[in-house]
Amino acid sequence: MIANVLPLSLFPALILIVGGMLIPLVPQSFRKVYMLALPVVGLLHFLSYPFGSYGEISLFDFTLSIMRVDGLSRIFSAIFFIATALNIIYAWHVRDTLQQVTSVVYPGTALGGVLAGDLITLFVFWELAAISSVFLIWAGRTERAIKASVRYLIIQVGSGVLLLGGLILYAHDTGSIAFDLMELSSFPVLLIFLAFGVKSAFPLLHNWVQDSYPESTVSGTIVLSIFTTKLAVYSLARGFAGTEQLIWIGAIMTLFPIFFAVIEDNLRRVLTYSINNQVGFMVVAIGIGTPLAINGAAGYAFCNIIFEGLLFMSMGAVLFRTGTIQASELGGIYKSMPITAFFCIIGALSIAAFPLFAGFVTKGLIIDAVSGEHMIWIWAILLFASAGVLEHAGIKIPYFAFFAHDSGKRCEEAPPGMLIAMGISAVLCIGIGVYPAPLFALLPFPMDYQPYTTAHVITQLQLLLFAILAFVVLIRVGVYPPEIRSTNLDTDWFYRKLTPAGLSVIGRGLNVARQWISASSQKRLDQFIGRLYRLHGPESTLARSWPAGHMALWIAILLGVTLILNYF
Amino acid sequence: MTDETKQTQAGEKATWLDNPKHIDYLVWALVALCVLVAGADFFYVKHPHFDVEHIRNFYGFYGFACFVFIVFAGKLLRKLVMRDEGYYDR
Amino acid sequence: MISFTPQIALGTSLLLPLIGAVLIALSDKTPNRREAVTLVTAGLLFADVLYLLVHVVNGMRPRLELWEVIPGLNLAFEIEPLGMLFATVASGLWIVNSVYSIGYMRGNQEQHQTRFYVCFAIAIASALAIAFSGNMFTLFIFYEALTLSTYPLVTHKQTDEARRGGRVYLGVLLTTSIGFLLVAIIWTWVIAGTLDFRPGGILDGVAEPAIVPVLLALYMFGTGKAALMPFHRWLPAAMVAPTPVSAFLHAVAVVKAGVFTVLKVTVYVFGIDFLSATGASQWLMWLAAATILIASLVAMTKDNLKARLAYSTISQLSYVTLGAALATSMGVIGGGMQIAMHAMGKMTLFMCAGAIYVATHKTQVSDMTGLGRVMPFTFAAFFIGALSIIGLPPMGGAWSKFMLIMAAADRDEVVIIAVLMLSSLLNVGYLMPLVVRGFFSEAPAAALGSAATFAPMRGLREAPVLCVLPLCLTALGCIALFFYAEPIYRFLETIV
Repeated sequence: MIANVLPLSLFPALILIVGGMLIPLVPQSFRKVYMLALPVVGLLHFLSYPFGSYGEISLFDFTLSIMRVDGLSRIFSAIFFIATALNIIYAWHVRDTLQQVTSVVYPGTALGGVLAGDLITLFVFWELAAISSVFLIWAGRTERAIKASVRYLIIQVGSGVLLLGGLILYAHDTGSIAFDLMELSSFPVLLIFLAFGVKSAFPLLHNWVQDSYPESTVSGTIVLSIFTTKLAVYSLARGFAGTEQLIWIGAIMTLFPIFFAVIEDNLRRVLTYSINNQVGFMVVAIGIGTPLAINGAAGYAFCNIIFEGLLFMSMGAVLFRTGTIQASELGGIYKSMPITAFFCIIGALSIAAFPLFAGFVTKGLIIDAVSGEHMIWIWAILLFASAGVLEHAGIKIPYFAFFAHDSGKRCEEAPPGMLIAMGISAVLCIGIGVYPAPLFALLPFPMDYQPYTTAHVITQLQLLLFAILAFVVLIRVGVYPPEIRSTNLDTDWFYRKLTPAGLSVIGRGLNVARQWISASSQKRLDQFIGRLYRLHGPESTLARSWPAGHMALWIAILLGVTLILNYF
Repeated sequence: MTDETKQTQAGEKATWLDNPKHIDYLVWALVALCVLVAGADFFYVKHPHFDVEHIRNFYGFYGFACFVFIVFAGKLLRKLVMRDEGYYDR
Repeated sequence: MISFTPQIALGTSLLLPLIGAVLIALSDKTPNRREAVTLVTAGLLFADVLYLLVHVVNGMRPRLELWEVIPGLNLAFEIEPLGMLFATVASGLWIVNSVYSIGYMRGNQEQHQTRFYVCFAIAIASALAIAFSGNMFTLFIFYEALTLSTYPLVTHKQTDEARRGGRVYLGVLLTTSIGFLLVAIIWTWVIAGTLDFRPGGILDGVAEPAIVPVLLALYMFGTGKAALMPFHRWLPAAMVAPTPVSAFLHAVAVVKAGVFTVLKVTVYVFGIDFLSATGASQWLMWLAAATILIASLVAMTKDNLKARLAYSTISQLSYVTLGAALATSMGVIGGGMQIAMHAMGKMTLFMCAGAIYVATHKTQVSDMTGLGRVMPFTFAAFFIGALSIIGLPPMGGAWSKFMLIMAAADRDEVVIIAVLMLSSLLNVGYLMPLVVRGFFSEAPAAALGSAATFAPMRGLREAPVLCVLPLCLTALGCIALFFYAEPIYRFLETIV
């Protein structure tokens, strides 16, 4: 830890947010160094905070607590800083100011959410993360990206307003806005739970990830893949640890993306399904809620950010160099990009949780937490999902991009910035896998856990090697499904096809109704005026003598008629 | 790996992996590894949480079965949800 | 020598714009002097209002009685926090709008500019008189004065289309105010024997509970300027006016005079305790909620930017009405906040629409694709204003929505909370595509990860600087209001 150089009133999240906003003022030649300094300084500054609450602000009738440092927020903050730095190195070649600003500001907003000590502060950063992240999708600058971005924004803002409504009702019921463990038994808490659920991409609420993330730029997708879902994971761990419903929600999350990932041709979209699946593991652990399980969730999130990021980085490099990320158009790229291929394989081995890699030591925590609770079905599902991870992230990604059928594409190796970022990630993957003690020391709860027991290693190897064997057999007998460019329907069908179609039917119906009403009321109005004229007009009998009472009535009628005429 | 028609570009040196025989070596190495880890189950004491774990090489069989199931389920899913690429633009 | 007291300041604030109007009329032939008069008047007025603000914040309630029309009924002015807030917003934004008007009217080479500025000044005087009025009678007089003084502004272009729009404008506002509001006022006079604004209201204990909903309906529909459905049509019709008029009058002065009246009536004529005890405002709550959603849905179908903003305004005005209808202290505070937040945000949006029109003569959203890259300041300001309207941090609009949801929570109206939440999403749906398409469409698809820097500085085609500067200022204002919402809250807290 360094000495207190910066004042404690300067919050680490602000270093990224404000520092990021100032990027356009820095000339391009110094800009990369300046950008890299932000997360480095931010992390060092963050580590100088002792555990505790900071930044008490009174707002309306509430007291906010802008920043809380404890074991749980520390590990998430630390990895957010590290990931920000890695992404800056990865995007060293990018000269797009928009992406540069966003790739620093957006992690800062997510960090602000992680550090938030109360629900209002959380809400503010929750929405800020939504707004700042959408710029990365816009940066894709394609028609598809633009359309996806509006859907993304509506869903993200939707999550935010759920949180807003929930927190206000919660504050109304309990008088508290503290962001602490909540009991999922009242309507306000359910709203907050759903808000977290949308951002962590619960089953059926998951599809925004696949819809939007692949539309971003090469480096933008990597930044996106990390922060929003992990902020949600943190929030669940903070607010809903031990909530049993999460166990099954998480289990389903690990399951269904597997099948979609098998048939998806866009390899970055395959990885977005992998995000759902991976977050599912964390959600299961949060649902169990024991200290071991929470350690598992936090530790797995930490490692996942690194190896999932590494996979995204390698796919980004392929897209950057070859111009495509469709598995059906790739293959044989290892000849042109051998180093990238090597790093990708390390990421794949890590996510598949091979011994000696980062995934193994932390996923073991989750599996052990589950079997420790004797939940055989969940345990079986997680093992099944592990085979699924191996299928889409462990094999499909490296195999179809770099090996398989040689597409004949030849290109340059990835630029140095990308290679360095991937290299650091790869070193971290192996380093944590071989020597997990420093990571374990960073976990929120003290524990005594041995990742490398004979049983752990052997059973894991059995699971993985036989699954690979299955892959080889399926390929050899020719039943492994070929890669085909396609659109695979997912829950977005409901709002991209069904809802517009339904609305247009309703709209047409309303239009017909409106025409009918205005036509018939016009006729009735004419009749009414005609009758009035006969009764009260100059030639009528009533016209001869006008009592004062009639005068008032007349005026009222006149006003009414003018009004109606103006209206139609 | 099944690919018999490796296209290497003119003037490019074939890599070690371009030779189908080498791929076969890799496959046999994998089979050997599988046998090794399956056999390892006979040589250490387990402390399983669940009864099924007493089955020798349970994890291996389970992993193999899961993988096959996932792939076939994926093929089935394709029949259900696959549309052409421009589906949403129409 | 008489010392300058708040009471004198109150009188001055009403007279200043009128004197300005006369001087503007006299400077018809010298545009530069005319504009200088406008700006100086606006500056002096704002200083005067700020002077009043300081005293009102400190608890003073300056009062001015002019003459007695019939016994017990005065033409009287009295300042309380709600009116003070409205006056501050209106007079502050008048300066910004004057600068913008100069840029817009000259940039567009509009005719009859003198008439324009004269009417504008009279409208401001009316708006301030509404804000400071001490009883319902005074408020009504200046409510009508505001309608009449803005009619020439709406029909400024003097085309057939403008006259048609003006007819609807005048027709709806006059008929509702005379047909309903005046009746409501007379009825109140008959029941309560007074029209004074009093904390806690004047009807509690004298009005039969059964007639309260009817009376409330007369007041609410009578205040056509609040654009509660179904009497909202004047607002889209008024969009034929030049954009500064739309920006200032139909985002700030006129519409806010409407919702201000709504708040004023609920707080000082009915009293929120009386309303909530009788449940008389229940129907109003649902109608306001319906207006919020329906107007947003209609806004989505409008391709003309100003029409879209007009429907957005109708929706947002009903936030205030909703706050009043909830009849809780938080609802009134939220409504008051919404007056300030929406004024700042919507004025930004209208000024952006105008700047786009001045620079490119485009009015349809679908034609604005890619414009953001040549007008980055305008589109960035639009983005910020839109975020504020949606109610997202870090914009002031977030807090007014926050307050209104709190109010709905106090009433246990979960459906109302859902309406407010849904409204945010609808707002994203009709405001954001413009920004996105403006900035990011038609860019080379191959810009992935490299090349193409954001908004190239070459080839900027912004509107004149006098147009762009004001909208940047109000955009910054939206952000500032996020961080300074607390003082507004404390200020409004004193009324309930």
